[in-house]
Amino acid sequence: MTIQTDPLGAAGLTFFSKISASISHEIKNSLAVINESAGYLEDVTLMTRKGLPLDPERLGALASTMLKQVQRTNTIIKNMNRLAHSLDEDYRRVDLGELGELMAHLSERTLVTKGFRLTLTAPAQPVSVITHPFFLQNLIWLTLNFAMSVCGESKTILMAPSKNAAGAEICFSGLDRITEEMVQDFLAQGGRLLLDALNASCHTATGQGRLTLSLPEDIHQLKAS
Amino acid sequence: MTDKVLIVDDEVDFLNLMSERLKTRDMDVSTATNAKEALKMIDEKFYDAVVLDLQMPEMDGLETLKIMKEKNPDIQIILLTGHATVEKGIEAMKLGAMDLLEKPAELSTIIDRIKHAKAEKIILVEKKNEQRIRDILTHKGW
Repeated sequence: MTIQTDPLGAAGLTFFSKISASISHEIKNSLAVINESAGYLEDVTLMTRKGLPLDPERLGALASTMLKQVQRTNTIIKNMNRLAHSLDEDYRRVDLGELGELMAHLSERTLVTKGFRLTLTAPAQPVSVITHPFFLQNLIWLTLNFAMSVCGESKTILMAPSKNAAGAEICFSGLDRITEEMVQDFLAQGGRLLLDALNASCHTATGQGRLTLSLPEDIHQLKAS
Repeated sequence: MTDKVLIVDDEVDFLNLMSERLKTRDMDVSTATNAKEALKMIDEKFYDAVVLDLQMPEMDGLETLKIMKEKNPDIQIILLTGHATVEKGIEAMKLGAMDLLEKPAELSTIIDRIKHAKAEKIILVEKKNEQRIRDILTHKGW
């Protein structure tokens, strides 16, 4: 029996499952801190019952730690929710600054554990296009993964959305080791598929360590050659 | 004798809380926020057990475990992870981890594993000493 798979759907599922795994890991880390905080409070209660004095400063610090973790988890879940709802509509107007910020949050753990840092340059003016938000997120995630494999010694990837003549673009720089051959591999391993689905294109300036994704103002526009 | 433990985790809040809680249970606790720091610390001090986070920046827990075991084969390492998969568990055991615990873990479980690690280490050291004595006796023809 041969199983028929839809490559775009499979790429989307891979992306979604990787992000879900990373998010659940983050939540577990946060829960571990809350768990230790509760355990510490139990220890303090026992010690107080034995007659040791309470330390209000320490208790205050513990409350701050717990609040910080609750806020952290809340942000993680909000971002997860935004990602999940990006499949609600096939096309909509997407603010690339906001989307970039979301992707920076969602990819942070993956980047940090591999020793990389992502710097997002927010556009001075809002930049938006009509596109498929989920596919665009998938493409950004794929590009960030590729960027890690070609990043320079600084291990810093810069991501900057901006307007261009066709609509908008997202520029990834700091990719000092990028070559045309590597870009072709990246495109063959799912990049091309997503670019086509988004009616977008990809340009590289290998000498300058830069890769740019160019998006039409409206996904339904005919692609400029 | 006091149990000597090294905890390695990039979550500073988690590290500080667990360290404080183990200290109130009369353990001698050292902490490190990354693998590089931890590898230096095991060169400088003897530990009964190392509690090591699996996912850390720069060098992950499995790689750190491998290097620690190469440096000191008797060292007892307990891995802590957000999600323990069967694959990771098998890989960790193959590399010589004593155990793999999932976060959030009960402190009583962690203490139990630390005590077990200490006992394992004592057995290993005793076995090595016995072997050394046997080798000397054999060498002298006794």
